[in-house]
Amino acid sequence: MSDGYLRFESVTKRFEPIQVVAETDLSIARNDFVVFLGPSGCGKTTLMRMVGGLDTPTSGRILLDDRLVGAPDRRRGMVFQSYSSFPWLTVAGNIAFGMRYRDDLRAAEKAERVDHYLGLIGLEAFADHYPNRISGGMRQRVAIARTLAAGSDILLMDEPFGALDALTRERLQVELRRVQLHEAKTTIFVTHDVEEAVFLADRIVVFSQRPARIVAEIDVTGRLGADRSLDLRESRPFFELRNEVLHLIRHESGDPA
Amino acid sequence: MNPLFAFRGRPAPSVEILCGVVFAVALIAIWEAASDLGWIAPTFLPSPSRVAAATWTMVTHQNLLWHAGVSTVRVWVAFLIAAAMAVPIGILMSSYRIVGATLEPTIDFIRYLPVPALVPLSIIWFGIGEETKIFLLWLGTFFQLVLLVADDARRVPHEYVEIARTLGGGSRAVLVDVVFRAMGPTLVDNLRITLGWCWTYLIIAEIVAADSGLGFVIWSARRFVKTPEVMAGVIVIGIIGLVTDQILRALHRRMFRYL
Ligand SMILES: Nc1ncnc2c1ncn2[C@@H]1O[C@H](COP(=O)(O)OP(=O)(O)O)[C@@H](O)[C@H]1O
Ligand SMILES: [Mg+2]
Repeated sequence: MSDGYLRFESVTKRFEPIQVVAETDLSIARNDFVVFLGPSGCGKTTLMRMVGGLDTPTSGRILLDDRLVGAPDRRRGMVFQSYSSFPWLTVAGNIAFGMRYRDDLRAAEKAERVDHYLGLIGLEAFADHYPNRISGGMRQRVAIARTLAAGSDILLMDEPFGALDALTRERLQVELRRVQLHEAKTTIFVTHDVEEAVFLADRIVVFSQRPARIVAEIDVTGRLGADRSLDLRESRPFFELRNEVLHLIRHESGDPA
Repeated sequence: MNPLFAFRGRPAPSVEILCGVVFAVALIAIWEAASDLGWIAPTFLPSPSRVAAATWTMVTHQNLLWHAGVSTVRVWVAFLIAAAMAVPIGILMSSYRIVGATLEPTIDFIRYLPVPALVPLSIIWFGIGEETKIFLLWLGTFFQLVLLVADDARRVPHEYVEIARTLGGGSRAVLVDVVFRAMGPTLVDNLRITLGWCWTYLIIAEIVAADSGLGFVIWSARRFVKTPEVMAGVIVIGIIGLVTDQILRALHRRMFRYL
């Protein structure tokens, strides 16, 4: 089911003296929305950071487009849960910062892209606002727009909606799904929230407790289709799948905390 | 329930300013009354009006403003040298652990040396010219400031650094575009506080080895028990401090509007 755009080959990670990631093989297709689901502290963030080049595997290798991933670069964009945007830059400034180290774009092109992504995330009216004057949900949108504006090939998101209230969270999930389809970006999204995982993912990779080991892979799009709307959340197939995954987690990898 | 005293509440700014002024004026009034009514001997504590009169005479006949200018220049020269060194070194200490590990023990040692204890040594090394004063002020501020700067830089959330790195920023770019920017507000606060310390060390230096400056003025006046002049010198320092601090605070608000 995948052309192996992003591949983990026998990847392990130790932070001496603890083993954080057990030998992991995984293949992710281009434009797939993959959710890493597992209990807190199991090693999901570590796996994602290794893709981003912020940590290096203890053994094994990670290949993106058949090339070994190395030091961080703008092809692999990160969105964090907190401190996700720079407080000293406006919303527009934060998005523009995504292109700060791109010499291949002229100033006019950069300005155009800022406008484009402001529109895409619906924050035109807040372009000149500083992050501490907007809501937490808006700040996460800014971070997503910045990463897209940078022109990354792959989006790495580490519990980006973890600190948001439930309603904002649902709204952003719908929006993220829409943006991800529209922009056609391969996405890895880390969460410990089962419902969020089922709603967002094309495919869920379930991890065990530390050291992280793949317990199951679930083809969500095969079961629910690619179109995700808020109505889906109340549908029977969604509930069934959610319960299945929950069950799996309880029995295979311990309670999601 | 008086809203002025709401726990952690926020009275109107005009009310806050008014309270600050009223308190200061009341203090001066009590002081004046105490002296005028003869509760306190004037050589011990002269009245505010006498201090004001002395200040005026010193301004018109004894070059008080020139002395104040000399002191201010000394403070700023030493402070700027210390800051120009402490900011880059402090940032490097936190960005490259090896730099921090190398410098920190020595800096920590020197930091704890009381400046007055080093006055004799400084005079042996530099004589009693300007170098001694600049050196003492630098000594008193650089070593404190460099550790404060290193701490400020260390406290910049790692996420900011990693965001910039995943956008393709190299270490230099990240240092300038992110670390320096992120620590801006605390850095300016620490500079403001350190500048205040400079005045403490300056007075010590000017008392011991100077024929100009406010410290010299205060100390000379003391020798003849001219208490109003002593107080005039002290008050001028207070006024310079107050004005500088308000200017720097206003600058802080302007520079960091996003806070
Ligand atoms: N830099 C590090 N040094 C030492 N231990 C770490 C480091 N980063 C993560 N860990 C440990 O690795 C484990 C997995 O962490 P993490 O990948 O953040 O888990 P998750 O994201 O699934 O909650 C945790 O026990 C954490 O304490
Ligand atoms: Mg995590």
